[in-house]
Amino acid sequence: MTNDERQTIDVAPGEQHDSFLSETLSYVIGLGLALLLTGVSFWVASTSLLWAPGVATGLVVLAIAQMGIHLVFFLHITSGPDNANNVLALAFGVLIVFLVMIGTIWIMAHMNMNMAPSPDMMDLRMQRG
Amino acid sequence: MFGKLTWDAIPFNQPIPLITSLVILAAILGIALWVWRKGWWPYLWNEYITSTDHKRIGVMYIVLALLMLVRGFADAIMMRAQQSLAIGASQGFLPPEHYNQIFSAHGTIMIFFVAMPFVIGFMNFVVPLQLGVRDVAFPTMNNVSFWLSASGALLINLSLFIGEFARTGWLGFPPLSEKAFSPGVGVDYYLVALQVSGVGTVLTAVNFVTTILKTRAPGMSYMRMPIFCWTALASNLIMLAAFPVLTVVLAQLMLDRFLGFHFFTNDGGGNSMLYMNLIWVWGHPEVYILVLPAFGIYSEVAATFSGKPLFGYRSMVFATMAICIISYCVWLHHFFTMGAGANLNAVFGIASMIIGIPTGVKIYNWLFTLYGGRVRFTVPVYYLIGFMLTFVVGGLTGVLLAIPPIDFVVHNSLFLVAHFHHVIIGGVVFALMAGYTYWFPKAFGFTLHEGLGKAVFWCWFIGFHLAFMPLYVLGFWGATRRMQHISDPTWAPWLNIAFVGAVIIGLGIVLTVVQLLYSIKTRDQRRDVTGDPWDGRTLEWLTLSPPPHYNFAVLPDVHGEEAYWLRKQTAIKQDQLIEEPDYQPIEMPVNTPTGVIVAFFASLCGFAIIWYIWWLAILGLIGAFAAFVWYAWRDEHEHIIPVEEVRANARERRRVRMEHLHSLSQST
Amino acid sequence: MTAGTEAPAIGLTHRASEDTGHGHRGPESKSIVVPYGFWLFVLSDMVLFSALFASYATLVGATDGGPTTSQLFDRNLVAIETIALLVSSFVCGLALITAKRANMAWTQFWLLLTGLLGLVFLSIEIYEFGTMIAEGAGPQRSAFLSAFFTLVGCHGLHVTAGLLWLGTMMAQILAKGFRQHIIRRLLCFSIFWHALDIIWVAIFTIVYLIGTLP
Repeated sequence: MTNDERQTIDVAPGEQHDSFLSETLSYVIGLGLALLLTGVSFWVASTSLLWAPGVATGLVVLAIAQMGIHLVFFLHITSGPDNANNVLALAFGVLIVFLVMIGTIWIMAHMNMNMAPSPDMMDLRMQRG
Repeated sequence: MFGKLTWDAIPFNQPIPLITSLVILAAILGIALWVWRKGWWPYLWNEYITSTDHKRIGVMYIVLALLMLVRGFADAIMMRAQQSLAIGASQGFLPPEHYNQIFSAHGTIMIFFVAMPFVIGFMNFVVPLQLGVRDVAFPTMNNVSFWLSASGALLINLSLFIGEFARTGWLGFPPLSEKAFSPGVGVDYYLVALQVSGVGTVLTAVNFVTTILKTRAPGMSYMRMPIFCWTALASNLIMLAAFPVLTVVLAQLMLDRFLGFHFFTNDGGGNSMLYMNLIWVWGHPEVYILVLPAFGIYSEVAATFSGKPLFGYRSMVFATMAICIISYCVWLHHFFTMGAGANLNAVFGIASMIIGIPTGVKIYNWLFTLYGGRVRFTVPVYYLIGFMLTFVVGGLTGVLLAIPPIDFVVHNSLFLVAHFHHVIIGGVVFALMAGYTYWFPKAFGFTLHEGLGKAVFWCWFIGFHLAFMPLYVLGFWGATRRMQHISDPTWAPWLNIAFVGAVIIGLGIVLTVVQLLYSIKTRDQRRDVTGDPWDGRTLEWLTLSPPPHYNFAVLPDVHGEEAYWLRKQTAIKQDQLIEEPDYQPIEMPVNTPTGVIVAFFASLCGFAIIWYIWWLAILGLIGAFAAFVWYAWRDEHEHIIPVEEVRANARERRRVRMEHLHSLSQST
Repeated sequence: MTAGTEAPAIGLTHRASEDTGHGHRGPESKSIVVPYGFWLFVLSDMVLFSALFASYATLVGATDGGPTTSQLFDRNLVAIETIALLVSSFVCGLALITAKRANMAWTQFWLLLTGLLGLVFLSIEIYEFGTMIAEGAGPQRSAFLSAFFTLVGCHGLHVTAGLLWLGTMMAQILAKGFRQHIIRRLLCFSIFWHALDIIWVAIFTIVYLIGTLP
C-alpha cells in the first residue's frame, strides 16, 4: 500500500521533499518574497506617488499575493495529485471566507444606508418639499 | 469568593422549576444508586464513558438526545397549555418572565441538544461501518467531542436549578440580550453552554470530513460511497464552515456582557443588526446540517425497503453538494424585514427559491426508488412516506416565505413557527425516528417491536398535523410568535386543537419509551441473528449485530456502487462465501478518560464564568489544559486484538452467514 | 493470498480492486490523515477570523466621537511586529527540517528562536494595547475599538496559545525524542504557526495600512 509513506515523514500535507538544500531553499525563497511584499506594502501605503483611490486595492492584491507565498513556500500547498484534497479544502475555505465577508459587508452597508436619519437630521429644514 | 452565586439563585419561590429540579435530582441519584448496586459502573466506565469506539459514542449521543427531547418537549407542552389557557381575562399559569424562559429553552434544547446530537450520533455509528473501516480518523477527539456536548447540556439543565435561563429566544438577539436589559445569568448560561458544545461540534466536523475523504475501504472511490456518507460529508463541511461564525458572534455578545464592549449595544456605536446578520450566517447552514443527513437516512431506507438501488445516485450526490454550497447564500431570508432594501431582499429571495430545486430532485429520486420496487411497509418506510407528504408541504410554505413581500406579512408570526416545525419535524424528526428503528438492531442485536413502532409513527404524524396546521391559520390572522397571553378569543378553538396535537405527540414519546422497554424485555423473540435483518445493501449489514469492536476482521474490498449487495448476491448465486482471508492481529485505539475529564473542567470553568467566580474559572481552564497535556504525554495509543480472537469472531460470522445463505438458496 | 482456481470476476477473492482513482487504496496512513485533519481545523479558524474581519469592517467607522484609526496606529511598531512574526514563521520551517533529520540541538534552537520571536511580537502588541487603554482608547470606548481589540486580540490569543503549545512540544521532544507521533504534532504546530502569519498579513494590511491611509 503506502509503505514508503510509513518510512518517511511528510513535510507538510502531501508534498515530499528529498534533500536538505531543496527544503531549506523553499523556506528561504518564501521568506525573501514575503519580506519583499511586506516592504512594498508599507511603501505603497505611505507614498504619494500612486493614484490614491487605487492604493487600497493595490494593498489587498499585495496581501493576497503574500498569503499565496506563505501557502506555497511555507505550507507546501501545491498542485500535485496527492495534494488535491488540500487544495479543495483550501478552495472551500476561501469560498466561505469570501461569502461571509462580502455578504456581511454588503448587507450591513445596505442596512446602514437605510437606517432612519438621526434626530438632528430630522430637522424640518432638511426635509424636501 | 463565590462571585454572584448566593442561595437566592435556587428558585425556592417558583414551584414549577423547583419541583422539576428536585424530581430530576432524585431521578439521577436513584439511577446512579441502582447502577452502583447492580455493579454496572465499571462496565459503563470501560465500555461507554471512556470508549473511543464510534459505535459506543454514537449510542451515547443518541441517549443524550433522547433525554433532552423529554425536557424540550416538556417545555413545548407547557407552552401549548399556556396558550390554550391564557385567553382573554385569564393569565394562564405561567407569568411572562417564566414563559419567556420556556420558549427560549425549548428552541435552544431542541436544536442544539436534541437534533444535533441525534444526527451526529447516527453519523458516528453508521459512517465508519458504511465506509468499511474500523473507526473514525480521530477516535479520542471523538470522545472529547461527545463529552463537550454533554457538558453544554449539563449547563443548560443546571440553569433550571441554579439561577435562570435566557428570556431572549433561542438566538438571543441584542439589545434585549445585552447586560442592560438582561442583567441576570440566563443569557450567560445560554452563551457559555453553546460555546462549550460548539467546540465539540467543530472537532466532530474535522473528524468526519477527514474520515470520509481520507479513510475508506479499498476500492471505495467517491462515487461508490453510500449516499448517507455523502450527506454526512456535506453536513460536516457545513459544520466546519458555519460553527466558527457562531463562536465569534456569541463571543462578541459575551464580551459586550462581561467586559463592557460595544459590538451590539445601543450606545457606543454598537450595531445590533450585525448580530442578526452573523447569527443567521450560522443559523441557516445549521438547518442544513440537520436535514442533509436526514435526507441520507431516507435514501438508505428507500433503497433497502424497495429492494432496488437508489434511483439517480449521481444526481443525489450533485444535489447534496449543491445544497451544501447554496445553503451559504440564503441567510438574509431570516431578516427580510430588517431593512436591507429591495435589491438585497430580491437576491436572497431568489437564492432561497433556488435551493428548493436540488431538494425537489431528491424527492423525485426517492419516489422513483420506491416506484417499481417491492416495497416492504416497515416502520422506517412509514416515516419515509410520512416525510414525503409532510416535508413537501412544509417546504412549499418555505418557498412562500422566500418571497419578501409575503414574508413582510407573516414574518415572526405563528405562520413562521408552523413552517419551521413543519420542515424540522417532517424532515428531520421523522428521519431520526426512521434511522432509530432501522439501525437499532445493528447496535443492540435485536429489532424493536414493529406494532408499537407504527403506533409511535401515527402519534407523531397525526399529532404534528393537529399541533401545527392551526398555527398557519393563526399566523395569517396576525398571531405573533412567543405570546404569553392571547387577547383574541376567536383564536381559542385553533389553539385548543394545537394543544390536543401536542398531547398526541407526547403520547408518541411515551410510547417510544414503552416500545424500548418492551422490546428489551422480549428481545429474544426478535434477535437479529444474521446481522442483516432488513436485507440491506450497504456494508454495515456485513457485520454481525452488534459488530465487534474493530468492525471488520479484514477491511472489505469494494467492487461496485452497492458494496455489500453485490457481494451478497454473488455469494447467493455461488452458494459460497468469499474465500477466507489471512487473519491478522488488529490494532485499535485505547480507551481514555480524557474526554470526560476535559468536559468536567469545561463545565466547572463554564459555571464559574456564568457566576463570576473568577478563581474557579481559571482553575477550570488550567485543569482542562493539564488534562490535555497529560493525555498528550502518554505512550500507549493502541492495544492489540489477538489474531485468535479475530479469527474466532470471523469464523462465527461466516458460520452464521453460511446457514443464512443455505436457507435463502433453499427457499428460492 | 492463496492462489485459488480461477474465481468469478468479482467479489470472491481478496485481490486488490481495479484502480479506479480517488482513495481506492484503502485508508490513508496517519502521516497523511493527521495533517489533513489539522489543515481542516486551520481552515475553520480562517472562517472564524473572517467573521471578525467582517465585524471590524462593519464597525470601523463607529467611533462614537472617540479616537479613530489614524489617531491610534503606529506603523513603525506594526512593521517590527510583522518582521518578527515572519522570521518566526521562517525559523519554524527550519525546525521542521532539522526535526525530520532527528537533530535535537538544532531543532530545539530553531524552536526556541520561533518562540522568542513570537514573544517579541506579543510584547509589542501588549504594549500597543496597554498604551491605547491608558489613553482612554480601550475596547469599551466605542464599537470600532471593541472590534479592533477583538480582531487583533484574538490573533494575539492564538499566538499565545501557540507559544504554550510550542513550549509543550519542546519539552516533549526533549523527553521522548523524535517519534512518529511527535513529529506529526510538530508538523501540525508549524501549520498553525504559518496560518497565524497568513492572518497577520491580512490584519496589518487591512487594519493598520488601509485603515490609516490619508
